[in-house]
Amino acid sequence: MQLLRDILDKQVVDREQIKIGKVDSIVAELKPGKPPRVSAVELGSIALARRLGSTPARWTAKLAARLSGRRQARPHRIAWNKVRDIGVDIEFDIDVRRTRIFAWQDWLREHVVCRIPGA
Amino acid sequence: MKKLLEISLGVVTSVGGFLEVGSMATAAQAGALFGFQLIWAIVLGTICIIFLVEMAGRFAAVSHHTIADGIRERFGFNAFIWPLLAVLLVNFLVLSAEIGGVAIAAELATGIGFQWWALPVAFLAWLLLWKGTFGLIEKGVSMLGLVTLCFVEAAVMLRPEWKEVAVGAVPSLPHHDTAKYWFMAVSILGASISPYLFMFYSSGAIEDQWDKSYLGTNRAIAGLGMSFGGTISVGVLIVAALVLGAHGVNEVDDYNQLPLMLIPIFGFWGFVLFVASLAIACFGAALEVALQQAYLVAQGFGWNWGEDLKPRDDPGFSLVYTLTLFLAAVPITLGLDPLKLTIFSMALTAASLPLTVVPFLFLLNDDRYVGEHRNGVVSNAAVIFVIALGFVLAVVSIPLQIFGGT
Repeated sequence: MQLLRDILDKQVVDREQIKIGKVDSIVAELKPGKPPRVSAVELGSIALARRLGSTPARWTAKLAARLSGRRQARPHRIAWNKVRDIGVDIEFDIDVRRTRIFAWQDWLREHVVCRIPGA
Repeated sequence: MKKLLEISLGVVTSVGGFLEVGSMATAAQAGALFGFQLIWAIVLGTICIIFLVEMAGRFAAVSHHTIADGIRERFGFNAFIWPLLAVLLVNFLVLSAEIGGVAIAAELATGIGFQWWALPVAFLAWLLLWKGTFGLIEKGVSMLGLVTLCFVEAAVMLRPEWKEVAVGAVPSLPHHDTAKYWFMAVSILGASISPYLFMFYSSGAIEDQWDKSYLGTNRAIAGLGMSFGGTISVGVLIVAALVLGAHGVNEVDDYNQLPLMLIPIFGFWGFVLFVASLAIACFGAALEVALQQAYLVAQGFGWNWGEDLKPRDDPGFSLVYTLTLFLAAVPITLGLDPLKLTIFSMALTAASLPLTVVPFLFLLNDDRYVGEHRNGVVSNAAVIFVIALGFVLAVVSIPLQIFGGT
């Protein structure tokens, strides 16, 4: 398996098969005298913006902090040991409802979508 | 039997997806000014889109990825962002043009100016997407779209010289208005080879849960459906050539000239048929483009997506088509001429082709996605041809826009 080829940018689903995002970046741990170890994947606009360069990264982080508070100014992380299956999608053994990943979609649902009749 | 039904539905759907304001307007303009001489552009565009649609369906059925998913996963986000932005922009202009097409049909039917219709049309489209399912949109609108077959009927009733029609299917050099000729060829190609068409098709294949058993169905739908669509476009061109051109209307620069096309053949009902065809074809296309916009964003960022879900289950996806539809209605509401916008957005579509078609060459030859169902020599040759054509179109469309545009 090659990390960049086979993991990065893959669809992520939770244990209920809900699509929660793409693998926007990969976090590896470096310890002296040992080979690097993948510890987590990151999701979200901040992780994505970092790949485009330092300026987009700064702007996106600022925007996220302004919109949803300091807690959202970092990308969402999912620990690598939660991986369950790697196929068409990568399945993680988590429940997206218990994370902050969908905070913006929840906000949208409560404040916009559910106020429109027929939703 | 079930497969046969599936194929016929698919063919009907592709007809609905193929014929929209772009193909109608470009074919009518070309026919009026150059007679049958530009039929080759429709034929060429149709052959190209048959190949691309077949590949998009095969890719989805075998790899269970949509084209957008595939591009992001295979090339990474930093490469994906360019086709993403280009297609979002082109789709937006095309959607605006389609809304304009329906608005013009409403103006022709009621006499109330088209600007007033843009927002109601966008609202109606939004309502269908908000409440409807994928099957309803896909099948319902395209069944109605069969009304556009009246152009083929009209073309046959006009008894054209079929030998001349056949001659038009072979590319030839123009005798007058050289810049305009090539600009129209580019616009016709852009109207036929629309990225939203094959990207939408691959999303539809995933929505309908296709697997490898659908490969034959896919081939039949792509071939027959797109050929039917191309045939109707040729019908429009023939009618425009014989009716508009013969009556001295060479420059179609106003939508009000278009309904004249069917009147000599069907009388008053010709007017009704034209208005209905324009309204239905453009409305169906508006639904598909708005959905495709939402598919693209949701697939690109990995959100939940699906037209069969309730909006509360995919709020991000629903928000994208909602915003797109209403924003796209704004230029028309402000009085931008739908015909000019249509021709402009078709040329821009052609220019954006390399960004969306180059990935096909890699995705459809990658064992990890399509395994033994990878492209053969013919399909690869077709992709390379479309890419080359796309690059030429990208380079020439802007200068031609300036010198040959209307």
